[in-house]
Amino acid sequence: MTDKKLERPGGFKGLWSGFKETIYGMSAHDMSRAALRTRASMEHLFILITMGDMLGIPILPPYYSLRLLPYVVPQIATWKRRMLREKDVSDAMF
Amino acid sequence: MNTLWIVVIAVIVIYVAYNYYARRIDRSVIQTDVKRATPATMYMDGVDFMPTSKNVLYGYHFKSIAAAGPIVGVITAANIWGWFPSLLWLVIGVSFIGWVSDYSAIMVAVRNDGNSLSAISHKLIAPRTRTILFVFIFFYLMLLAGAFVGILAAILSARPDVPLGIIMLALMGLLAGQMMYRWKMDLIVVTGIVVAVTLAAMAVGPMGQHKDANGALVQGPVGRAIAGLNATVDKISDKQPLISIVDPTNSDPRVPVPGKDGKRPTTSAYDAATGLVKTLPNYLLWMLFLFVFSYMGANMPIWRFAQPVNYIGFWVMLITIVLSAIGALVAPLTGVVDSAGNTIGAFALAAVKNLGFAWPQAGAAWQPLWPMLFVTIACGAISGWHALVGSVGTARQLEYETDGLPVGAGSMFGEYTLALLSLMAVSIAGAGGGGGRFAAGVGKLIYAGTFTVIPEVFGTALGFGAFVMIVLTVTQLVFRVMRVTLTEWVGETIPLVRNMHVSSIISMLLTMALVLTGTWVYLWQMFGASNQLMAALSLLVVSVWLKSEKRNPSYALYPMLFMYFTTLFATIVTARNLYVTIAANPKMSGLPVAGAWAMIVVAALLLVAAIVIGWDGLKAYRRYSATPAVPAPAAPVHA
Repeated sequence: MTDKKLERPGGFKGLWSGFKETIYGMSAHDMSRAALRTRASMEHLFILITMGDMLGIPILPPYYSLRLLPYVVPQIATWKRRMLREKDVSDAMF
Repeated sequence: MNTLWIVVIAVIVIYVAYNYYARRIDRSVIQTDVKRATPATMYMDGVDFMPTSKNVLYGYHFKSIAAAGPIVGVITAANIWGWFPSLLWLVIGVSFIGWVSDYSAIMVAVRNDGNSLSAISHKLIAPRTRTILFVFIFFYLMLLAGAFVGILAAILSARPDVPLGIIMLALMGLLAGQMMYRWKMDLIVVTGIVVAVTLAAMAVGPMGQHKDANGALVQGPVGRAIAGLNATVDKISDKQPLISIVDPTNSDPRVPVPGKDGKRPTTSAYDAATGLVKTLPNYLLWMLFLFVFSYMGANMPIWRFAQPVNYIGFWVMLITIVLSAIGALVAPLTGVVDSAGNTIGAFALAAVKNLGFAWPQAGAAWQPLWPMLFVTIACGAISGWHALVGSVGTARQLEYETDGLPVGAGSMFGEYTLALLSLMAVSIAGAGGGGGRFAAGVGKLIYAGTFTVIPEVFGTALGFGAFVMIVLTVTQLVFRVMRVTLTEWVGETIPLVRNMHVSSIISMLLTMALVLTGTWVYLWQMFGASNQLMAALSLLVVSVWLKSEKRNPSYALYPMLFMYFTTLFATIVTARNLYVTIAANPKMSGLPVAGAWAMIVVAALLLVAAIVIGWDGLKAYRRYSATPAVPAPAAPVHA
């Protein structure tokens, strides 16, 4: 991240790119969000299965958990954030 | 008045309100800062919290808020009070209240770690506010579903040229899901195939339609087949109505338009002598069709049906909107005339009808301009739904704080132009009521917009089809959300409701009861009142937050007070109308009376919920007013 907004193309190129992005936003952005949500749910399940013994749910022997740990580490921060975040009905709506 | 003037008014209002009011609030009250980190950047999880380009987000927010509301509300209000009061409310509403609500809901969530409005109200106002909001949302959704299913069933029953396009939409939705997610086909190819087939089915519906010597519409082969099906189904009850209701405002789509003599003719679904609107078995058939469609949308995996259907509906709607907008612009310039020889673009609807302030006769409905116009037109002027979408969906994707204004306020102004387009369509059509008048107007605009290439009859069919599609795509999602809300609400105490099929069926049965026993206009106005109350409550949360931050809350506080008291009063008026015209009407008995009482109970519940939240909000506001200002901690910035 920078403290400046990303430079965007100007003129006709910028207008065309803005138009394309807007049409994407209207037509398909919610579809990609739903696909991401599905993937996130699968990943949560995967983490629960593989790392469950650390949470007191022994699903997989610790030997395999340990072997998988390096691959899971990058996901742990966002997983924890999503799991611990307070949710309500409106979260399921949009 | 003609459509070109409306386009000019729209451009001026958006320019002035956005540049001279919205920008000022953004700069001086909210003080957005491009360097301040947003929840999307701080808590990025690649799913809900995800920095997104403002153009994409504008499209996403606009699509999420601009659905059937700005169309249905405007055509209903224009038919009751005339086009001028509707135009005035749209202009004033969007300039001083509408954008305020959308933009502020997003910014409050952005400044509160991306929490939803109910979570923020839990923190800022009172813990019980959240629970009351859940109940509020459920009844809001039920009224919305009832109003939408009611109008759709009436259109599908009355217009045999429309159902083919909708049946094809369902089939193409299933096919599109399969092609995109299972066969992994290219999105552009899939879009081309499914949209073209759906549009072709919509065009085949009215093919062969013509008017006979008496001016009556004669259906083509498809229309005749569907009309034959309707007639066969009606034989079940020997063409006798299952239920009869009264609609004092004549807004029900089954009420025919007055003939040349000014009197409404008797039709299979309307008795001119008694004014009773008849529910025939074919109406029930189309209602069941809508429930099956919605059931699929609510319970199948979202990628399998609901999303592809929405995707196709979006393209059909976009084509209709763009062609109509071109028509609105060029019709007065080219002077093109319709099939009856009238200039397209000139307003045919009365500017001002009965403003309704006089106290009605005993037993009659009361529809005073204030407060009823302000709940009949919600979306396009202001809507509570937007605040929900904004605080949960949009706020968590905002890359820079400064994007909040173009996304939130910009989308609201976009929706306002859609409402104006509906107003133009309904105002230029010479005859028809509700959805029919809208579709006829769209047909004329498309005829003008395509420089007479697309005939009026196909334009009208496209208008009907697009109208039904946009309402139906929202309805299926409403049922999806309703079952989730119901599960959250009572799932702990009644475990059976956790089953999605059970919760869907309960939601649909409740809605069916409302549709069959209710009067359409009251359903719509009650939904409007609950929607506007939600908008007022979101503005209340914004005002309390601004007070807690020691900022000037005036720009949100005064709109909140106006909307709060207007909608409370509108709820009371609607309950009174339900009681006087149905519950206490000696001509009414059985199910309609039970339905009227059920809606009166819902009105009372909404009223109590709003008063409790209002009281808690007032206490919170006073509490923060009495608290001395504390210097704010340094804001986290982009790394």
